Amino acid sequence: MRSTPPPAPLSHPGWQLIPGQLLGLALVILVALGLGSMLITAGGLDLSTVFNSRYLRGVVWFTVWQAMLSVLLSLALALPVARTLARYRRFPGRSALLRVMELSLVLPTIVAVSGIIGVYGRQGWGTGLLNEWFPGHGWNLYGLNGILLAHIFFNAPLAARVMLQSLETIPPSRLRIASQLGLRGWWLWRSVEWPALRPVLPGLSALVFTLCFTSFAIIMTLGGGPAATTLEVAIYQALRFEFDFPQAAVLAVIQLLICGGLWWLVFRQRLESSLLPNRQLSHSVPLKPWPAQHLLSAALLLVFSLFLLLPLLAIGIRGLPALLALNTAHSIYEQLLPATGRSLLIALPAGFGSVAASLMILASINKTKNPIMKAIPTTTGYLPLIVPPIVLGTGLFLLLRPGLGNHTQGWVLVALINSLMALPFVIQILRGPLNGLDSHSLRVADQLGILGWYRWRRIYWPLLRRPMALGLAYGIALSMGDFGVIALFGSPGQPTLPVLLYQQLGSYQVSAAAGTGLWLLMLLVFIFGLLSAIGRPPAHLQKKRLPEAALEPKHV
Amino acid sequence: MFDVKHLCFRYPGQTDGWEYHFSLAPGHCVAIHGASGSGKTTLLNLIAGFLQPDSGTIHWEGKAIEQLEPWNRPVTTVFQEHNLFEHLDVATNIGLGLHPGLKLTPEQTKEIQQGLERTGLAAFGTRMPGDLSGGQRQRVALVRAILRRQPLLLLDEPLTGLDTEAKASLRSMLLEEKSRGVALILASHDEDDRKLLADHYWNL
Amino acid sequence: MLYRLSLLLLAVTLPLTAHSADRPVLNVYTHPSFAAEWGPGPGVKEAFEKQCKCTLNYTVLNSGGDILQRLRLEGTSTPADVVLGLDTATMETALQTGLIGEHERSLDALNLPIDWSDNHFIPYDWGYFAFVYDTEQLPEPPASFDQLINAPDDLKIIIQDPRTSTPGLGLLLWMHSVYGDEAPAKWEKLNNKILATTQSWSDGYFSLFMNGEAPMILSYSTSPAYHMAVDKTDRYQAAKFEEGHYLQVEVAALVEPSKQKTLARRFVDFMLTPEFQRHIPLKNVMYPAIDLGEDLPTVFDRLITPEHTFFMPPADVASQRRQLVNDWLDAMTR
Repeated sequence: MRSTPPPAPLSHPGWQLIPGQLLGLALVILVALGLGSMLITAGGLDLSTVFNSRYLRGVVWFTVWQAMLSVLLSLALALPVARTLARYRRFPGRSALLRVMELSLVLPTIVAVSGIIGVYGRQGWGTGLLNEWFPGHGWNLYGLNGILLAHIFFNAPLAARVMLQSLETIPPSRLRIASQLGLRGWWLWRSVEWPALRPVLPGLSALVFTLCFTSFAIIMTLGGGPAATTLEVAIYQALRFEFDFPQAAVLAVIQLLICGGLWWLVFRQRLESSLLPNRQLSHSVPLKPWPAQHLLSAALLLVFSLFLLLPLLAIGIRGLPALLALNTAHSIYEQLLPATGRSLLIALPAGFGSVAASLMILASINKTKNPIMKAIPTTTGYLPLIVPPIVLGTGLFLLLRPGLGNHTQGWVLVALINSLMALPFVIQILRGPLNGLDSHSLRVADQLGILGWYRWRRIYWPLLRRPMALGLAYGIALSMGDFGVIALFGSPGQPTLPVLLYQQLGSYQVSAAAGTGLWLLMLLVFIFGLLSAIGRPPAHLQKKRLPEAALEPKHV
Repeated sequence: MFDVKHLCFRYPGQTDGWEYHFSLAPGHCVAIHGASGSGKTTLLNLIAGFLQPDSGTIHWEGKAIEQLEPWNRPVTTVFQEHNLFEHLDVATNIGLGLHPGLKLTPEQTKEIQQGLERTGLAAFGTRMPGDLSGGQRQRVALVRAILRRQPLLLLDEPLTGLDTEAKASLRSMLLEEKSRGVALILASHDEDDRKLLADHYWNL
Repeated sequence: MLYRLSLLLLAVTLPLTAHSADRPVLNVYTHPSFAAEWGPGPGVKEAFEKQCKCTLNYTVLNSGGDILQRLRLEGTSTPADVVLGLDTATMETALQTGLIGEHERSLDALNLPIDWSDNHFIPYDWGYFAFVYDTEQLPEPPASFDQLINAPDDLKIIIQDPRTSTPGLGLLLWMHSVYGDEAPAKWEKLNNKILATTQSWSDGYFSLFMNGEAPMILSYSTSPAYHMAVDKTDRYQAAKFEEGHYLQVEVAALVEPSKQKTLARRFVDFMLTPEFQRHIPLKNVMYPAIDLGEDLPTVFDRLITPEHTFFMPPADVASQRRQLVNDWLDAMTR
């Protein structure tokens, strides 16, 4: 018998369990503190004020109504797009389209909304075409139309990506059988696609619902008037302008109840599953097409691409003059570059932090069987989505009160909150691949003593580098475009990119602001591109697989 | 000597359980046979430490091992499939059996290469498991198991589903281990396995 | 390893914000348009530091509301010495925090369209709310509220939400001052002309107005000054309304728990000197709070001058705001 090698570093189970528990507990305490302090100021929770006010009843109703519609429409668009992308795995521009689909979620709202207005607004190109072809069409962006359009723009690509990943996990053998039997339409859906999508749909719907439920600037800019008011707007109003803590607390609790209840339902049905399952490499299987299906699919993807790209193009056209004007006395880059540096200083740690925290949280969830200890880290994946930032901010403030005057701490804090806000997304991205190892492999690893650091290095790291790169991109991009958190705490005079954008707007520098918006967009494209290139496995591994597998088919 | 004494196990929520009681000398092989659900895999998992027994003891050379973690037990398991990490190449898969952090001495690297050569896989060290046939994959798993040099090999239908040729080569590898004094517990449906490898035979 | 890297990056940020320890530090809470690099903030900082032998430190919060929010949370332990950037709508609430000190300054230098004699708040700039219009889209803008309200519905305007925005609330007070109890009915009539009610002035100006979505937006009477002086275009002008315009005054105040009271008083004294005020007209795009004489940019001569100035005392605003907002909501959602 061989002598056993010394135990792997960090192989004590506590290393997997405790950091995630601590993180989870910290977040729960934070929210409890924030909410608690508001409730204490309020002197109790009186939900009846909401039910007695026609205005507030309307707000709750409208918030739910628009979120439901947004979910339905986003999924309705995402489904055919995902099916088409799953069916056609090779065509020029496919991976570019996938990149763009990752992008829309992380665009700062004010930039995206400006692009959407540039296309679909009263003076937009799209509307111009509509005017030419269908005079008297009655299209009006402002109102429910605009809210839904913007929500679809933000969420349909996310939903389509998630669905696509699920469809890609369908075992090739099942697809081959479907191909041999010539299944299509309803039966293809019923026997192959629906079983693959069903597990992600509840979680996906809940996610999109939550994002639309808490949507703020979109609703106000495109909603047309106070008839379109969401709970988050009402909370903001109560806190910032009326200093009405009781009302804000009540509204925040309602928001927590509705979104939290929804997630609780998803959990209870045991439907909770990862949004991005482990991705498997498989070749496309030719499925029996309908007549003209190729043509229709191409048209669908073209329309979808235009839907995503035109607003981006509008942002580009609007911002380009400012970025190209190099000869003016005050070059725009004098502010852009330092602001970019500052944004990166916050966004990079935030991105890395949220990836690291997500891993700790997931490890902790996997390590324990105790339902309460499982629940604590699990909440971190959802709480940041449904807790109004102002509640979170208040909590943090009370927690860290004595030290807040210091700017350094302020920056660290901003990075911290940003990484917290990105957690739900990063966790969703990492969960599938992390849990994707089958039980046999885990047992083999156990027996071989591949534990702790070794297990991470040899087993998980190669599996996770790709999703981690994507998670990192989301983490960085979300904090890059974030304005809310930094504004909450106050920044030193030096602005980050989104703050710079608002400062320029506040000072009438509209074209410079458009330039900043474009710059931010390009930076996000660059971050996603770079990280997806880094996350790809080294080229020699990729190349070796295919030809040899073809030479020597494996018989199972 | 492996001594399993009154090892009892019951899955939560089930009324019936199992009790195992036997000894196995070095260099001997026992084949266990039984319908699925008869407790073959359960026994192997108990010995390997993937499951915790309700009561009873497992001793090796007089030392109790039933409380040890899987990685500290003097056993190596070969499953029917999923023995290899799909994302790591063949040499790495074997190397992780020698040191869980892949910190290999030059001798160990040589050993791996020799092991691959002996099994006709010399050129496969840098291949990914997905490129290998079922028989080749099991040979890799077995090379790793052998190089670990643990005194007890637990074989959970390792030959099921392989073609005749692959079976023959794996059997000869197992016989060689036996002759070196390694004890084998083999769960198998296969009449031939029993005849060619086993000294004892139980039907569960 | 990744985690270690991020910690390292954090460490790198530390030197960025270090202060020199030997000079006293004056902490001013303000909002972004004041502290922006092209705002009055940097020039003011430079001029003041030259004469005070101190470090002037801005903490930038999103809006006047956020400044107050921060003060409330920090309570008596607040590091703020001066708050700068509140307005007449938030003054009363600020006073109720008990954290605002009396200034004990002479306000003789003030040059405002109204008499100002507040013991706590000192104005540093002012302007009128007005509708700014695009002369290319709308050569003949309405000349009064009545004309606007009775205009055909294809005249679209952009306003801001009084629940979330200062000019938004300004319009509400303006309409209330002009029409009194009839205001809700007028709002109802105006409703069809409102293209969008945005969260903030910035959203409306950037996303909508400058995209050409509507020819008119609620803004300040001084907005055209920037376009004329800096953008060199006369395209955007403010529409003068016969009824008169509502006054917006931006104020600063001393923070009571401050440990730098002397320095803070020096700062508010400095605020009403030309060295401070000459940064206001084109950098904050508002009227300076004192008479700058020759130093006032000439474009300010071409701005509208209302016949009548509306102004509600801050205490009235505080007591009536909720009712007015509710009436507005009722009118707009009917």
